[in-house]
Amino acid sequence: MEISNLPQEQRDLLDSLTDAIAVIDDDKAKELAEKIVNEKIDPTIAIKYSIANAAIEIGKKFDSGEYFLAHLVMAGDLMEAVSAILEKNIPIEHIERKKVIVIATVEADVHSVGKNLVSTMLKATGFEVHDMGVDVPSMTIIEKAKEVKADMIALSSLLTTTRPYQKEVIEDLASMGIRDHFKVMIGGGPVTAEYAEKIGADGYGRDALEAVEVAKKLLS
Amino acid sequence: MISLFEIAERTQTGEKVEEKKWDMDLYRTISELVKKYRIEFPGEGCFINMDDELAERAFEAAIEFLERTGVYCVTTRRRVRLSRDEILTAIHEAPTEILMGEGRDRRIWKQRKIEEKGKLNVCPGHHAPFTEDIAPLVVSNFAQIPRADFIEGFNFSEVDGRKIIGAPMEVYASRRQLGWMREGVRKAGRPGLAVVYYPINTRAEDLIGVMDPDHGLRRTDGILLTLLPDLKMEQDMLCAAMVYEEYGSFKLSGSFSIAGGFCGGIEGAIIEGIAKPIACMIVYRDYIHYTGVEHIHMLNGRRILVPGINWARSVVNQALNRFTHTICMRWIIPTSGVGTELNLLEGAMQAIEAPINGMNLYAPRHCRTTTNRGQTPLEAEWMIEVSDAVIEQQFDRHGANELLARLAKRFEGEKPAEGYDIRECYDLIHHKPMPDYEKAYISVKKQLTEMGLKLI
Repeated sequence: MEISNLPQEQRDLLDSLTDAIAVIDDDKAKELAEKIVNEKIDPTIAIKYSIANAAIEIGKKFDSGEYFLAHLVMAGDLMEAVSAILEKNIPIEHIERKKVIVIATVEADVHSVGKNLVSTMLKATGFEVHDMGVDVPSMTIIEKAKEVKADMIALSSLLTTTRPYQKEVIEDLASMGIRDHFKVMIGGGPVTAEYAEKIGADGYGRDALEAVEVAKKLLS
Repeated sequence: MISLFEIAERTQTGEKVEEKKWDMDLYRTISELVKKYRIEFPGEGCFINMDDELAERAFEAAIEFLERTGVYCVTTRRRVRLSRDEILTAIHEAPTEILMGEGRDRRIWKQRKIEEKGKLNVCPGHHAPFTEDIAPLVVSNFAQIPRADFIEGFNFSEVDGRKIIGAPMEVYASRRQLGWMREGVRKAGRPGLAVVYYPINTRAEDLIGVMDPDHGLRRTDGILLTLLPDLKMEQDMLCAAMVYEEYGSFKLSGSFSIAGGFCGGIEGAIIEGIAKPIACMIVYRDYIHYTGVEHIHMLNGRRILVPGINWARSVVNQALNRFTHTICMRWIIPTSGVGTELNLLEGAMQAIEAPINGMNLYAPRHCRTTTNRGQTPLEAEWMIEVSDAVIEQQFDRHGANELLARLAKRFEGEKPAEGYDIRECYDLIHHKPMPDYEKAYISVKKQLTEMGLKLI
């Protein structure tokens, strides 16, 4: 069912949910999510419409400087909580699987700001994100990606000397015969689109906002 | 001042905190303190802080912030608590000048006061990656700038034709970096010029492996040991701090805060921006800092200017210079690439701020630098020229504010410019800009003269 087929009252409810998430009003958003469930509105519409639109609004607020990294974290957590409410009556086999992304700062690199930004933006946009932190060896990343059946591996590096570990992940995937199981996106200070192409990455995100667009494109 | 052994112990015994909790608590604490201490951007048109009481409140906010949060050790995931007394004692005991270099190149780096009239101390370059084929030539170009008081190293991805990956190659590359630095300063006729090691990586072995009075880091040289954003420290850096305390090298840190991150907006970034150099001093014994506030959208190269960013930097540096012994430097980080007019104009803006707010000058470098595209000697000479003019023409806070307002208008509607490889815009053999870059330089001098800063 499309949103345009819903009665106005229900569309208003979905818009209210978008607004509540976008302003990170936890109580209001959860209350509206419960209402949507009680009114038996198709929860998949709420997820595709309300949460997705909220993610766009939140991205705009971050870009404009109104929101900061902490807002993205709170928004991501709220979206997760709202999704859980909306999905509670859906049989698990009918829940539309979110695209899964494993993200990490590569081995020998402890910088996290850029990775945190990308991670929180991806989560706020509706991806299921497994953030492995910093200084993560290649095989550890790959094992996690296999474990959670990731669709994408996102790798951050802030030092020229840790960039090669991004290449190592790609090479390890290839040597294990599973390169085509995952999209690989890279980013970070010394990383460029040319470098991404050179090492065989599928995508490059110059900053967090661009990374989200690249992820959406690669996983569509 | 609290000893580094005490800090080391606290990294092992402090309260365990998950990193996400640390980040969010930091945001909440800073947000509360912004309100409590009434730190608020006055609004459009304000580039230099004129409110001395606000700077004082910001300083008090930073002390309370540091006392409440401490520093987070990412290695052990523990909080290192610092008492108010320990913080204030450290502030009081820190030096206001650092001796560096040898022989005729011996220099004293000093803390500056707001609107102080003497010439600024200068680090003209690096903290940007270059390839090994041009490394010593690049170094000698920067080292021959007469006002250079020290020069910093740089990163690179290959050495002796081999990729740098893994600790053994990193240590080797680190020592080669110092070798090139020493060679470059000798070639420039500045054999005693202090060099600062720029970490190839932050492993302890990389940081310590360069100690070598004959071929590497001398006792009169320095090293960059920096806290991560959000007041996060690493044990490897602490190892190096402890070793270098005995060895004698001075230490620098990158102490600016990042607005848009977990410290919040520019007001929250002011609090972290004041607290961070104090924390760096306590946990790593860093005494020279590049200070202030940057914005996540500027560091990412998305925007040339964010409203309030100059004011925020101003508050931070004024507070540090009035209430601490922090030796501040302005790291000039244009969003536009090298070889462009916009890069020079952005650099000018930051170089104008420096003497007004009590900051020395440090290594202009493109915000999103990639190999060989980060800087040329011209930007360093330019930042000196601009700041000298500000001092000579006796600009005060009000005059500088008006000048910056005119300069900010120049950026309206502009996007950061793509830049060039150093070899495309600068003649490293003859130490001069290529003709097109020289034209850009003359054009910006004219523009700034028309705005009120006489450079022609």
